[in-house]
Amino acid sequence: MITFEHVSITYPDARRPVLDDVSFEIAEGDLCLVIGATGSGKSTLLGAINGLVPHFTGGTLSGRVVVDGRDTARFRPRELADVVGYVGQDPLRGFVTDVVEDEIAYGMEQLGIAPAAMRKRVEETLDLMGIADLRSRPLVELSGGQQQRVAIAAVLAARPEVLVLDEPTSALDPTAAQDVLSAITTLVHEVALTVVLAEHRLERVMHAADTIAWITPAGTVDLGLPADVLARSTITPPLAALARELGWDRVPLSVREARRRVLADDIRPPVVAEPAPVHGEPVLVASGIDVRYGDLVAVRSVDLELRAGEVTTLLGRNGCGKSSLLWALQGALTHAGEVRVDGRDPAGLPAAQARRLVTLVPQTAADLLYAPSVGEECELADRESAAAPGTTAGLLRRLGVDVEPSRDPRDLSEGQRLALVLAIQLSAEPPVLLLDEPTRGLDYSAKADLTAIVRELAAAGMAVLISTHDVEFAAGVGRRTLLMADGELIAEGTTLDLLASSVAYAPQLAKVFAPSPVLTAADLAGVSR
Amino acid sequence: MVVPERTDALRTLHPLAWWCWAIGIGLAVNGTTNPLLLILVALSMVTVVMLRRSDSPWARSVRAYLVLAAFVIGMRLFFQLLLGGGRGETVLFTLPSVPLPAWAAGIQLGGVVTAEAIAYTVYDALRLAVMLLCIGAANALASPRQALRSVPAALYEASVAVVVALSVAPQLIESGQRIHRARRLRGDSSRGLRSLGRIALAVLADAIDRSMSLAAGMEARGFARTRGLHVRGALPLMLASVLSATTGGYLMLATDYRWLAAALMVAGVAGTGLGLRRAGARLAVTSYRPHPWQWRETLVAGCGVVAMLVVLGIGGLDPDQLGPALAAVLDPLAFFPSTNPLAWPQLNGWMLAVVALVLAPIPLTRTGLQRIPDAARTDVAVRSPRPRGRLAEAVR
Amino acid sequence: MTRLSWSLIVALAVGAVAFSWPLFLRPASGMPPQLAPTVFAVALVLVLAAVLAELSSGRMDVKTLAMLGVLAAVGTVLRPLSAGTAGLELIFFVIILAGRAFGPSFGFALGATTLLTSALITSGVGPWLPYQMLCAGFVGLFAGLLPRASGRAEIVLLAGYGVVSAFAYGWLMDFSFWPFAIGDGTQLSFDPAAPPLENLHRFALFNLATSMGWNLGRAVSNAVLIALFGPRLLAMFRRSARTARLGSTDARAIAAPAPE
Repeated sequence: MITFEHVSITYPDARRPVLDDVSFEIAEGDLCLVIGATGSGKSTLLGAINGLVPHFTGGTLSGRVVVDGRDTARFRPRELADVVGYVGQDPLRGFVTDVVEDEIAYGMEQLGIAPAAMRKRVEETLDLMGIADLRSRPLVELSGGQQQRVAIAAVLAARPEVLVLDEPTSALDPTAAQDVLSAITTLVHEVALTVVLAEHRLERVMHAADTIAWITPAGTVDLGLPADVLARSTITPPLAALARELGWDRVPLSVREARRRVLADDIRPPVVAEPAPVHGEPVLVASGIDVRYGDLVAVRSVDLELRAGEVTTLLGRNGCGKSSLLWALQGALTHAGEVRVDGRDPAGLPAAQARRLVTLVPQTAADLLYAPSVGEECELADRESAAAPGTTAGLLRRLGVDVEPSRDPRDLSEGQRLALVLAIQLSAEPPVLLLDEPTRGLDYSAKADLTAIVRELAAAGMAVLISTHDVEFAAGVGRRTLLMADGELIAEGTTLDLLASSVAYAPQLAKVFAPSPVLTAADLAGVSR
Repeated sequence: MVVPERTDALRTLHPLAWWCWAIGIGLAVNGTTNPLLLILVALSMVTVVMLRRSDSPWARSVRAYLVLAAFVIGMRLFFQLLLGGGRGETVLFTLPSVPLPAWAAGIQLGGVVTAEAIAYTVYDALRLAVMLLCIGAANALASPRQALRSVPAALYEASVAVVVALSVAPQLIESGQRIHRARRLRGDSSRGLRSLGRIALAVLADAIDRSMSLAAGMEARGFARTRGLHVRGALPLMLASVLSATTGGYLMLATDYRWLAAALMVAGVAGTGLGLRRAGARLAVTSYRPHPWQWRETLVAGCGVVAMLVVLGIGGLDPDQLGPALAAVLDPLAFFPSTNPLAWPQLNGWMLAVVALVLAPIPLTRTGLQRIPDAARTDVAVRSPRPRGRLAEAVR
Repeated sequence: MTRLSWSLIVALAVGAVAFSWPLFLRPASGMPPQLAPTVFAVALVLVLAAVLAELSSGRMDVKTLAMLGVLAAVGTVLRPLSAGTAGLELIFFVIILAGRAFGPSFGFALGATTLLTSALITSGVGPWLPYQMLCAGFVGLFAGLLPRASGRAEIVLLAGYGVVSAFAYGWLMDFSFWPFAIGDGTQLSFDPAAPPLENLHRFALFNLATSMGWNLGRAVSNAVLIALFGPRLLAMFRRSARTARLGSTDARAIAAPAPE
């Protein structure tokens, strides 16, 4: 269905090609998962399938890309619209109209499909994706998962043979991601679509993949059966890490497979020692926090303490009030109740002083950036924090990011941008750091880096609170976990206790080894093989 | 081929029908200075809007137009008091008068204020105010999004730009609000132009990025695939039509060749229509669930046209040329009550008929108000820790 | 390119006639002054339709169109922000800078679409809308036709243009709706029977007394905003024009596959 023959893609001003002499074939009806480190060219590979690369993005493509018999050198993306359905990273940014129904019809209008046929296809597509009840809703009001499903429906209406999805679940919470992924697997199994999917969090989809295409750091593509490719690749989802730790030659693709092997091999995990509780003084004490938007109660009488040197994670589904709570703790959001840091309430202080008590890295970290270059951004931060010149730039280097000061912050990778915002926020030397969904768009190695950074900050005596819905990340980063639902804190305890016993929030290894409490592959060090 | 109606089209009238009705009434209003008729038309107009508007944001605009209408009357009165020369004999009061030097056209401020002058100004201002109200009513009743769906194919790209702008605007507002909130996190408490500019720049940078992803999405979904079919002769035809219409407009204003002027303008409109049709042939996009034009649309539009014909037709007659019997029946002078000497304005049967035509859409259409069940609203994603502002709501 | 400029020249000519209708109106025509702007509004709608159809027919690739839509949205969002503050106008600096960066026809299209979108959102559709659209279109058009300059000189040039265009916009709009605003019978009213010069004199006085503050505010805000944010915005626009190959025709935007 999709054939790459000796394809090399080079962008203008780039020293080396993103993809270097790549040849592979994706068979009809396959679900092919594209994996690779951030910036390795996943989006480029996906864009090349329908000709967006190079027709739209610029750059040079040598070799041939043929989809359903059409060579992308001769067919522009729009001429492939009835063969390849392409959904970009942020669906909301690709929407042309503002109502679900119109958006689904839009592509067909462009293809000049007769109104009666169009009407029928819209209805069918609405049912196929299970979004018939959303038909007249404005797109901006939908949740992320719903938007993603509408975006998929919108390209499906043109009846393509191939569906190309660029990280469809990276911004979604586990439940919404599951919705979207099950919709996609339905399409593969029931509609026999060929699906090419890029994804960071492999643990969500690898069990459903027929093949995996790994874009190696050298720019080549290693395509093969998932278990084989994962055993070779440097991208290590939890089960691959498990296989590596236990010396298995084949990576189990699902919890069930891994559990069977563990039982068959009679592997007993070592008893994980509870990390010693932190006995530091509470730095931040909040009591009775209430946040309301009109009639909507987002946060309801939350009491909480953060101790120096401790990393706490805050779990809960999208929209349960995690962000609102964090903003309230920083004092940037009107709220009832009291927050005490160092005897003062950040809400009552001017912005510049509040951030020296509590600093927050928001979900869309890039909102904090407005200077045209990294260098100016750092200088601005030094002035704002009244820190010595060079402080922020130094912090940024310590966070492992070494980029030209003249780079535009918008051109950085997600991980680099997060580090830049973190450096800016840390330049104020606050005792309390709040991170809101920091793992969005980060790959496994970037997440590992972030874990190391957070632990180091805590070791230096900082109290850290991280809201996340990435349970694998939560399992590795902190000792203490809070669970939030419907605006209330519903559970509090050690990460091990809470996550290992949870149904919804258990990381994959906990499910593999249940009832033994294991959270990450690191917990398995020294296990008998 | 049966094209099913859009669900909401069952409830609302085609936007062009509302505009046709409102413009007709507006032109009718222009043909009279009878304050009683004007006030009745205004009241009827507001009634129709209150009963037939939808719950969409633009439907609230009629209030702004009421304020604007009041402002027009107030301003006219103010200038009349300040600058108005004497007219009539019934002196109400006298303001101190200040003559200005010759370079200022020898204007005299203040002076005598007469009842005739006030009545004249109020009648004329009222006419303008009610015309504004007609425009406001059309704005409140016609859905701009549905109007955009009925744009000729030749203007398709322009209408796409507007559709994109309408969909992106609320997202930009949200992005602006996020950036504004995020400023506090950085300790930036600057205010005024500089902070506004910072936000505007950040929003613009975001907007430019956004336009790229949007363009990629449009391209990948086949935008412009059916474009670029070869068309000839559309542009010369449209240019000629534009010149014809302009000449017509000029003649209408500067000379008394009314019929020639009208013919030129009609030719211009028709020619442009043809040209657009022709230019639209280069595009083969289809339209999903187009808004149907049905008998209700024809009737409502017709009400406006008939009202205009009644007022302009009768009001334009010269009573001296009619027989006394006919003059008594038609009573054209009642449409222009005298202000000098002042006389009490009268209503006649024709005027009541006009008012009935203004009210006619009430039985002809159904209510546009639709209650969205609360259940459908609860699933809103809390994407930002603060609900969008009123503007965001209005934009949607 | 010649076809394009022809249609714009016609638009210019018709616009000039339309905006100055109070100079032509003669009592002999029996046309009431409050209807006169509507007569030309019809002609202007035709002009706008012809020009926009011509501008977009195959000449605008999808990136240009997306940029047009998004920048019109920016203007639409900025316009109500400035409505509360007397004279502060936030839309024109975007139109001027975009016209400068992307060329005259983009400038025209942006001016016209911005005002149209804004009117649709704020329910401001009326006989004045075609005038506003054409006028704002011209602001963008002439910004694209300004002479070459770079660096500081360019910003000074654009800021100066911002001042000039602010007054031009204000005067043209006020002039075409002046008889509307004040009515007849006062000493500063439009008088169809008076010679054009006399009417111009009256208008100048009327405008000085009523609208000078707004025009001045618009001019100052244009100049200040262009001076403050012009360099950054121009750089942003040009960068995107480079990376996106904006404004190029479809044929040129295709990167040729390199020979092996």
